[in-house]
Amino acid sequence: MSANSTVSRRTVLRGIGTAMALPLLDAMMPSAARAARAAKAPPTRMAFVFVPNGKHMPDWTPTVEGRDFDLPPILEPLAAVKDSLNVFSGLTHDEGRAKGDGPGDHARAASSFLTGAHPYKTGGAKIRVGMSVDQFAARQIGKQTRFPSLELGCERGRRAGVCDSGYSCAYSHNISWFTEFTPMAKEISPRAVFERLFSIPSGGPLSPAQARRARYNRSILDLVLEDANRLRPTLGRNDQRKIDEYFTSIREIEMRMERAAVSEDDEPLPEPDLDVPEGTPKDYVEHIRLMYDLMALAFQTDSTRVVTFMAANAGSNRSYKHIGVSEGHHTLSHHQNNAEKQAKISRINQFHIRQFAYFLEKLKATPEGDGTLLDHAMIMYGSGLADGNRHEHHGLPVLLAGGGSGTIKTGRHIRVPDETPLANLFASMLERIGAPTESFGDSTGTLSELAG
Amino acid sequence: MACVVGLLSGAAGLAVSAQEPEPQRTHEEAFDELVRPFLREYCTSCHSDRRHRGGLSLAKYEDLASVSRDRKTWEKVRRRLRAREMPPRKSRKKPESGERAEIIIWVEAELANFDCGDEVDPGRVTIRRLNRAEYTNTIRDLLGVRFDATEEFPADNLGYGFDTIGDVLSIPPLLMEKYLAAAETISRAAIVTPDPPTPIVRRFEAERLGDSRPRRRESVRVLTSQGQVKASYRFPEDGEYVLRVRAFGQQAGPDPVRMTLHFDGRAVRTVDVKATRDAPEVYETHITASAGVKQFAAAFVNDYYRPDDPDPANRDRNLVVDYLEVEGPMNASAGSRPLSPSHKRIMICEPGDGSKVDCARTILGQLARRAFRRPVSAAEVDRYVRFVDLAAKEGESFERGIQVALQAILVSPHFLFRIEQDAEPNNPEAVHAVGEFELASRLSYFLWSSMPDEELLREAGKGELHINIDAQVRRMLKDRKAEALVANFAGQWLETRNLEMVTPDADRFPDFDDALRTAMGEETERVFAYIQQEDRSILEFLDADYTFLNQRLARHYGISGVTGDAFRRVSVPVGQRGGILTHASVLTLTSNPTRTSPVKRGKWVLEQLLGAPPPPPPPDVPPFEEDNTELTGSLRERFEKHRSNPDCAVCHVKMDPIGFALENYDAIGAWRETDDGFAIDASGRLPGGESFDGPSGLKNLLMANKDAFCRCLAEKMLVYALGRGLEYYDKCAVDRTCEALAANNHRFSTLILETVRSVPFQMRRGNGDEE
Repeated sequence: MSANSTVSRRTVLRGIGTAMALPLLDAMMPSAARAARAAKAPPTRMAFVFVPNGKHMPDWTPTVEGRDFDLPPILEPLAAVKDSLNVFSGLTHDEGRAKGDGPGDHARAASSFLTGAHPYKTGGAKIRVGMSVDQFAARQIGKQTRFPSLELGCERGRRAGVCDSGYSCAYSHNISWFTEFTPMAKEISPRAVFERLFSIPSGGPLSPAQARRARYNRSILDLVLEDANRLRPTLGRNDQRKIDEYFTSIREIEMRMERAAVSEDDEPLPEPDLDVPEGTPKDYVEHIRLMYDLMALAFQTDSTRVVTFMAANAGSNRSYKHIGVSEGHHTLSHHQNNAEKQAKISRINQFHIRQFAYFLEKLKATPEGDGTLLDHAMIMYGSGLADGNRHEHHGLPVLLAGGGSGTIKTGRHIRVPDETPLANLFASMLERIGAPTESFGDSTGTLSELAG
Repeated sequence: MACVVGLLSGAAGLAVSAQEPEPQRTHEEAFDELVRPFLREYCTSCHSDRRHRGGLSLAKYEDLASVSRDRKTWEKVRRRLRAREMPPRKSRKKPESGERAEIIIWVEAELANFDCGDEVDPGRVTIRRLNRAEYTNTIRDLLGVRFDATEEFPADNLGYGFDTIGDVLSIPPLLMEKYLAAAETISRAAIVTPDPPTPIVRRFEAERLGDSRPRRRESVRVLTSQGQVKASYRFPEDGEYVLRVRAFGQQAGPDPVRMTLHFDGRAVRTVDVKATRDAPEVYETHITASAGVKQFAAAFVNDYYRPDDPDPANRDRNLVVDYLEVEGPMNASAGSRPLSPSHKRIMICEPGDGSKVDCARTILGQLARRAFRRPVSAAEVDRYVRFVDLAAKEGESFERGIQVALQAILVSPHFLFRIEQDAEPNNPEAVHAVGEFELASRLSYFLWSSMPDEELLREAGKGELHINIDAQVRRMLKDRKAEALVANFAGQWLETRNLEMVTPDADRFPDFDDALRTAMGEETERVFAYIQQEDRSILEFLDADYTFLNQRLARHYGISGVTGDAFRRVSVPVGQRGGILTHASVLTLTSNPTRTSPVKRGKWVLEQLLGAPPPPPPPDVPPFEEDNTELTGSLRERFEKHRSNPDCAVCHVKMDPIGFALENYDAIGAWRETDDGFAIDASGRLPGGESFDGPSGLKNLLMANKDAFCRCLAEKMLVYALGRGLEYYDKCAVDRTCEALAANNHRFSTLILETVRSVPFQMRRGNGDEE
């Protein structure tokens, strides 16, 4: 028995003659995406990363504004990509505030995060907030890729009890809302995401058996859509809403099947160079990094252009033992101005930024067109609360990384006037990704500061 | 508003208001002194008999009786006030938060005074899609196929503490995608086709078989000591399969490396792995597998390590695994394939010459009836029979056609949702009994988390289920399937499902491990199952003089004489253990990773055991801007400072004392006399003035408030059973359950029977405008 008996991949492959069967990505590229590649005009992508419980703001906010801004302790890990991002100070989610609804700031922070809307306070009935920015974009540009959007997370969430003071757990466990009534479920297993992205053969000539299967599937969908259509008029209003959800989801999958029918004459893509374990990682760092790897891979292969990721659920009370913080995150965030607790919060915040930096560096190291993947992306990172102790919904910690295909001047700390809606940033991002809108959520305009 | 009704309707004791008792005013006096002036001040300028804004006049309510006659309107008033939708934000005159809260409390008390005499409102449940547990069980009972939806589908959202709530069980595209894939997997597992099977090869790279990413760029797994590489695979159908392992040995010592192949927990073959790094070899074995998820593994069984051997190459023997692979089904000729039990159950006729359509109608008629849990019309069945023609046109077998039809049935809205129908779906006045078949599903999903069995469907078919319901409930509770109540109701009510998420700090609690975690959950589930199966008093949840333990948990509790892994009933002396409040599961779930949380424990008792109402929303307090001072002192002292803020005190003054009574249990539920060197002070005094000491004191207090506990449990059971939150009119159903419990020694079966007999369970009505 010895500890150090590893064998490199090359050692084993030598003399075997056959390579491991990794899925070939070429066949999975929809033709539109390949055409875009051929035209050497990489598409713009967007991602949104949510981290819970606010930040220790004194360790987050740079003291200097503009180009020569400093990196306080939490942001330190971003040094290598500092020039590729903007730090925002002053953005607000007014709709996350109580507005008379009493406690429940964590549920409101997550549900308003990408919607810019005020969640209706309910334990279940009449659940409603607003369509989220990623889904608004996916509605417009999702047809161009195999998946209109991806929703990822690391925590399954509570399986019993209540999440936050009278709010259904749907508000705390999701940031992406398909419609104002329907949250998008998120995948937490890296393996499931990988297989969903890369092991469904959806391009190239189908074998006769596959072609038959596709025809059956089409007939099945036709039949059940008819079922739903017949059923709908016999039901009450709330029931109809559920059938509408069913109907929309079926339609979504039908459209995806149509898009998957592709031509055969395109250049091959590199194989996905990613080892994804069969099980869901117990190690949190590994779990987060795998999710970031998958996001990068999804962008690189143009499988989707819109991703959301909850590094943890709203109000998560996870402990961060691996960085020396044994207490629960949420409990700590009510630090009551205890310096030791604040230092620990800061450490957790920095931990998450370090993982995010890993993601950005990866995008930056991936050449694409005349630049890098990061140049063609808009990656928003933040929290729905500023200080977790006070549950502040103003002065939110927000980063936007990536150049948005040359539309965003990066490398700055931008202070916007107090109470500027965070939704203004969303409106600006939607404009840049090809889904412009008069207004989004509670936006009052766009952020002209982005262009520099 | 689950549990809201409860404590307002006069249950004495615990849930009194946070403030010191004010000079007593009767409910009627309060109407004259508080409510009428409030209406005149803020409401009647728009809602007058003359202006009638929103079709509503509030000017006509001149005495208490006029309010009591018109609860529907006052329920609307309550909602608008709570949601702060009224008075409108823009109006010039707006009430102070305190004023608003007083009115809300009064209106809620009035609604809780509901006279159950004549008015009957069963409420309305939004159609429910099957949740993950229900899907898993339904597939098991419909087809005999094992499919674990909890693993395969994204998490169901919770409402009112349960995953049975129609309004929050949504179908986002991701779930629909999983439904489609599951339908295909399940129908292939259920039905064997005579078409030549296409063997599927699935390879598992050994380095990925685990729950962590392979280190560096390895492409193998090295087993340095006795150990194994395991893979799980869903065998698509019954049949023969080949298992392969590509491996080589790092040879040392007298014997070659030896490897044992395991399948489904059994060793099936042991081989000498003479191959070396330059030329790895593939070792294989044939097995017969039934459809479903099974594990197979390659194990290293003869470790050898002599670090002092003079020859460095002869010191260390290891097994190196490159990949595991499964291929199949391999059955050579299709006709000879064994038919699975589920196949035989489904294919109840043979398609002879010319009668193919008739046979398909028979098979699919039967399947659809059971899958949709109601009779199906010939026309409805024929739509599915079309798939048999379609398969024939594609040159595939009859069985394949049935397979595809089954796939369609499994994604139909009639299968995925529990549909209930009304003659007038949008008329809230149209109250009627739920249909017999709908009642059968309500019963079976309540008690079994699964579809109705043949007996229920037969009773419903005869139209006799409503009248024979008691006998059916008793029968169903005796069935093993009723264990679903433990897993799904108790797992959520007592939150043991969340145990998988807790992470006690390993430094402070080195004793905590997965074995203890599992044992904690099992204690609570066993106690619940015992009370259910033996039909004991539900008050034993609070003060049982027994519990269920195995050796691990008994050691944790400091109780001797319990050996082995098996759980058994153990009598416990009054004091430290007995009753769910003393279960390590509950105590751990309500703690932080490093310390106890009196707040969480107190909140848990109030919400899960007493159903204390949430107070009306406090005003929007500017967060402690001015209060930047750091809180210091003992845990208890710090809490007391926290409570000096009146807005926090509203809730904390009730939660904290209850939590402090449980301070003798540490954050993983072990007994302690001191905390950080300080003696535990487990005494407390409630706002109402009652004082008590420690867990026994708290238990006595709860027993003195047993009506509040019964009411809370009855409410939770009703929420779980109905799949919706409770409304003011549900008070009548809960009242009856509580009365029946008191009259029947609080028997568990009474709780279930009364829930099932209740108006909201047996009746429904059309959708109202406000819902």
